[in-house]
Amino acid sequence: MEIKRREFLRLFGGLSGSFLFVGCGLDDVLDIPQSMIEQARRGPGIETWQNTICGLCPAGCGTRVRLIDDIPVSVKGNPVYPINRGGMCPLGLNALHSLYHPDRLKGPVQRKGTPDHATWESISWENALSQIAERLVELRVAGKPHQVAFLGHEENGLLKQHFARFMQAYGSPNYFQFAPSQNTVTPYSLLQGHLTLPAYDFLNARLIVSFGSNFLEEGSSPVYYTKVYSHHEEQQTRYVQIESRHSLTASNADQWIPIRPGTYGALALGLSYVLIREELYDREFVRSKTFGFEDRVDSSGVRHVGFKNMVLGNYYPERVEELTGVPSPVILQLGRELGNAHPALVVGDQGAIDNTNGTFSTMAIHSLNALLGNFEREGGIFFVDDPPFSRFEPVQSDVVARDGLKQSPIGISEGDVYPFTRFSIEAFTKNVLSETPYPLSVLFIRGGNPLFESLNRSKLAEALKKIPLVVSFDSILSETSEFAHLILPEHHFMERWDAISAVDSIPFAHVGIQHPVVQPFHDTKQVGDVLIGLAQQVGGVVGKAFPFSNYEEELKFAMEGVYKSGTGAIAAGGAGSLWIQYLQQRGWQIGRYSSFDEFWDRLVGQGGWWNPIRKRKNWDVVFKTPSKKFEFFSQTLKKALDNLTNQSGGESGTAQNYERVLNRLNISARGDTVFLPHHEPIPHEPDMLFHLVTFRVLPVRDGQGAALPMMQELFGHSANRHWESWAEIHPETAAINNISDGDWVLISSVVGSLRLRAKITEGIMPSVVAIPFGLGHTSLGRYAKGHGVNPNTIMRNLYDQLNGKPALQATKVKIARAT
Amino acid sequence: MPKLRPTTRKLVLLGTIGGIILIAGYFKVFLHSDLRQPIQYNHKIHIESAGMTCVDCHESVLVSASATIPRLEICTSCHSGEPISDSPEEPKLLKFVADGNEIPWQRVYSVPDHVYFSHQRHVTDGRIECATCHGNIPDFTQPVTSTFMPVMMESCMDCHRLNGVTNDCLACHR
Amino acid sequence: MPKWAMVIDLDKCTGCDACAVACKMENNVPIADPAEAQSGRAMFWMDMMTTTEGAFPNTVTKRVPKPCFHCDDPPCTLVCPVGATYRNPEGLVAQIYHRCIGCRYCMAACPFTAKVYNWYDPKWIDGAEVGNPDVSRRMVGVVEKCSFCSHRLMSVKETAHREDRPIMDGEYVPACAESCPAEAIVFGDIENEESRVYRLSRSYRVMRYGEDLGVKPKVYYLSRRTET
Repeated sequence: MEIKRREFLRLFGGLSGSFLFVGCGLDDVLDIPQSMIEQARRGPGIETWQNTICGLCPAGCGTRVRLIDDIPVSVKGNPVYPINRGGMCPLGLNALHSLYHPDRLKGPVQRKGTPDHATWESISWENALSQIAERLVELRVAGKPHQVAFLGHEENGLLKQHFARFMQAYGSPNYFQFAPSQNTVTPYSLLQGHLTLPAYDFLNARLIVSFGSNFLEEGSSPVYYTKVYSHHEEQQTRYVQIESRHSLTASNADQWIPIRPGTYGALALGLSYVLIREELYDREFVRSKTFGFEDRVDSSGVRHVGFKNMVLGNYYPERVEELTGVPSPVILQLGRELGNAHPALVVGDQGAIDNTNGTFSTMAIHSLNALLGNFEREGGIFFVDDPPFSRFEPVQSDVVARDGLKQSPIGISEGDVYPFTRFSIEAFTKNVLSETPYPLSVLFIRGGNPLFESLNRSKLAEALKKIPLVVSFDSILSETSEFAHLILPEHHFMERWDAISAVDSIPFAHVGIQHPVVQPFHDTKQVGDVLIGLAQQVGGVVGKAFPFSNYEEELKFAMEGVYKSGTGAIAAGGAGSLWIQYLQQRGWQIGRYSSFDEFWDRLVGQGGWWNPIRKRKNWDVVFKTPSKKFEFFSQTLKKALDNLTNQSGGESGTAQNYERVLNRLNISARGDTVFLPHHEPIPHEPDMLFHLVTFRVLPVRDGQGAALPMMQELFGHSANRHWESWAEIHPETAAINNISDGDWVLISSVVGSLRLRAKITEGIMPSVVAIPFGLGHTSLGRYAKGHGVNPNTIMRNLYDQLNGKPALQATKVKIARAT
Repeated sequence: MPKLRPTTRKLVLLGTIGGIILIAGYFKVFLHSDLRQPIQYNHKIHIESAGMTCVDCHESVLVSASATIPRLEICTSCHSGEPISDSPEEPKLLKFVADGNEIPWQRVYSVPDHVYFSHQRHVTDGRIECATCHGNIPDFTQPVTSTFMPVMMESCMDCHRLNGVTNDCLACHR
Repeated sequence: MPKWAMVIDLDKCTGCDACAVACKMENNVPIADPAEAQSGRAMFWMDMMTTTEGAFPNTVTKRVPKPCFHCDDPPCTLVCPVGATYRNPEGLVAQIYHRCIGCRYCMAACPFTAKVYNWYDPKWIDGAEVGNPDVSRRMVGVVEKCSFCSHRLMSVKETAHREDRPIMDGEYVPACAESCPAEAIVFGDIENEESRVYRLSRSYRVMRYGEDLGVKPKVYYLSRRTET
């Protein structure tokens, strides 16, 4: 190994004079395939560039990989790819280190022993797959296909469809995605009836008011939004950031308005008050396109209070100031600003939604967009069409699959909590442990690290231990995959085929093509291919659902639809606004290719396809609610609660049942207010003084970046805390507790405590403590393990009771100087 | 020079010699006399009898930074199957061809990694003859085992000076 | 002869650190292990200087990307006893590693702390070894710093020379400028009146650090904030 390493260093611009090279590095293992070393020795030094799509986060930036003699040596942004236009984030630029990571699994492994005392043994792909297929066949024969679950992560577009198709053909309703963005759609679906997240036209807005949305750092595509932000200079856009902590987005905004965690909805309603009271809202839009604004009398003669009077009665600035800590003059000023800047856009994410009242808060925030009439217009909100992929043959299901699909999904709670969840990790944990409505026999986990992010780690671990066969696709052994029985490592993104489309909040249709820029380093496979293989081994209707020999073929088939649609264009240079204007005038009719093969070659070469032209939608498509309007009064919510009330059993009267349902959902409001955007107080523990908030930073994001040493080094660079976590504390708070900068402090909640160093900063509210999320790994390779702390481990096990989203800002803590 | 005791003087002397050897070793002053190539390749025959030129085998000398040591593929375009000469070296080559193994040629000329040297720039753009640095290779009946012109900064800078080319450090150092 | 300079638009820059990583990857800058990084030995050629000013809630966090300023009158070159650092005719302040004896006088002389020192054998912790073959790796005991990616200039010059034309504006850019998602970093020939850098360096928003020192830095910052 040492020889290989030394030689490679020399070949690749290594150290001159090898006597200088003595025992450096923390370890002497190097993961360069022998064939590559041969290549480097022989090769003429020919440089090539290949375009692909970064796969380190779901944002889907186009990257250019520089290869010398087919060996990747550097990565930069693809200047023609529409999402990032050459820009990259620190994590993406560090992609090579994830490719060469020494802790990547070399091939499939099988666990021997318990997760605590595990040894991992290599196993061949054939053996591993036949073990799984055998189990899958058995379950099908026994009529229990629903006992198989697939837990995905942030996949979108084709791969998501692929997983769903597999589960559907097999006969299980249990395909879920464990991702931070998973349940954020709830408030939009309650108000607008849409099941996808809206996109925002930042470029054409004059004022952007962000409620907790740290879009430059934590959003679904930070690079895209950084690009957009950097144009504000020419556009004269004003950014206002409302957030408890002076985040990266806040520090770049024109104004930062600190706010008490959990009260974002109240502030949004306070702004609504100003808009309504001063008649600054879009009256025409509100009159014709919304429901429940004014008081009304329904068909049975009952009077219902409208949004307008609810807001005017409850959310006057003085009360909102009391709730939020934002001074009333600031509220008045911001409200007036919102009403007078056209177009003004309101967004809410992260801080505003990661709480027990997240759904109602986001409803309140999104209602501001309705008051401003921000739909289907420049500088507003709209929904992006999916790219025109080819239609796949519908899955032919047999009796077993049909019966299996009728079972209730295990990741969605039965009973009266989380009525709007798509997947609740808490419900999943409980259901698996109690085997209701049925036990789980096989679990596939692909991507993410649920155990690391979980607020209920020990229970989730228990649940994982209870499942007889857990299969993970991790490429580095992580907290979660330590509980797997089999790990089938998937290709690195530079080694695989995939299509990245429909990235959340990107305002145009796009498909990015990932293709192998390098031969696989290890004995790994693309997950899509693994599922095709399994489907074929299971056979019957399951095998028939995949008439492709591999995933690449499936991808090609899907892209044929895009080719035939004749819309959009392959990413190309010169795509400035003038260029788009020119194309628009010509009906966007460029990119005629003589054959699909020509289209395909160019597509793979350039990195992707996009369609910036979006047809205006009819209002009945924009608002898919029962009233076909924007519903301040959510009839969907009303119907759901009525259903829950009826289900919850008949002994006591309806009124008591209804009361019980509201209590279970932690809704303190009563009457019509329940269905209107309103502020719900957070159930705080009484003796704790400080709110704990967490944030994610660009280099590490959801914690997976911690596997890379350079990202660890950068993690706390601005706080001067490299490779470790810190707690941000306001100087006043620090003074009271006798804490100086850099001191060790103990942050304790009712759940547990963390010991870490203090960073005294004016960039945080005095009543708040902030800890970055992403470190504190107990696994995930040699660089992640044992650095920093994981704030989620001291959080109370609280969720938004409507959609099951973890309440990451609902815990209060004590601070003490540690010895 | 201060007066030193004989033993100290001996030590100093030994140290100096040792130092010179170390430094010389580092800068490869002592040529690779012990270097053995796997095949006793004859440049002269290939150039005179077969009518080949340097670029035929050292493919990228005109178009890239490195001139490249020929790959086996280049040999096999002529030598495959039956021997085409009576040289005792050819069977050795054919063995490599049959096994499909690259020939482990020993590299003779190399610049340290903190130096940027481009063949393209010197040969294509600067119109410098190969012989200027590598000697009269067409006369070589034995493979190259030592450098004709030592790869030292002095050699580079002398030539740059003579030809009026920049001697700015950053032109070559990286 | 061109004179290379950089303009960083702080009104566009968000402080995302992409430039810092792009630079580390491009120039094979070693990674410091936890203990070293904590003792202030993390090596960044392009560093993000972060300061938080103002009292809550009027907090202002300034993030300033700081490469070597490649001063026209560099104080570091004056003190180098061995000529390992010097200003070349194109205005680049070079660091020749194999000539450097590691006395660190230049580090002390630099008012902007742009230089970093290899305190230990460099660590490209496992898996991080595959680097950019265009840039040499330094060894323990030498000072290193931002080179404006001068290795890129070598090949750009070659191409331009071969095509018998001057180097075009935007043809030679360092890694940080290339990867900046905010397009905040602009690089070019400050003496070419057609270049973007020339135009931007005459903006009303322009300022340079250490102008009172008379070192004439060639990195210009654009900011609306007057006191930056």
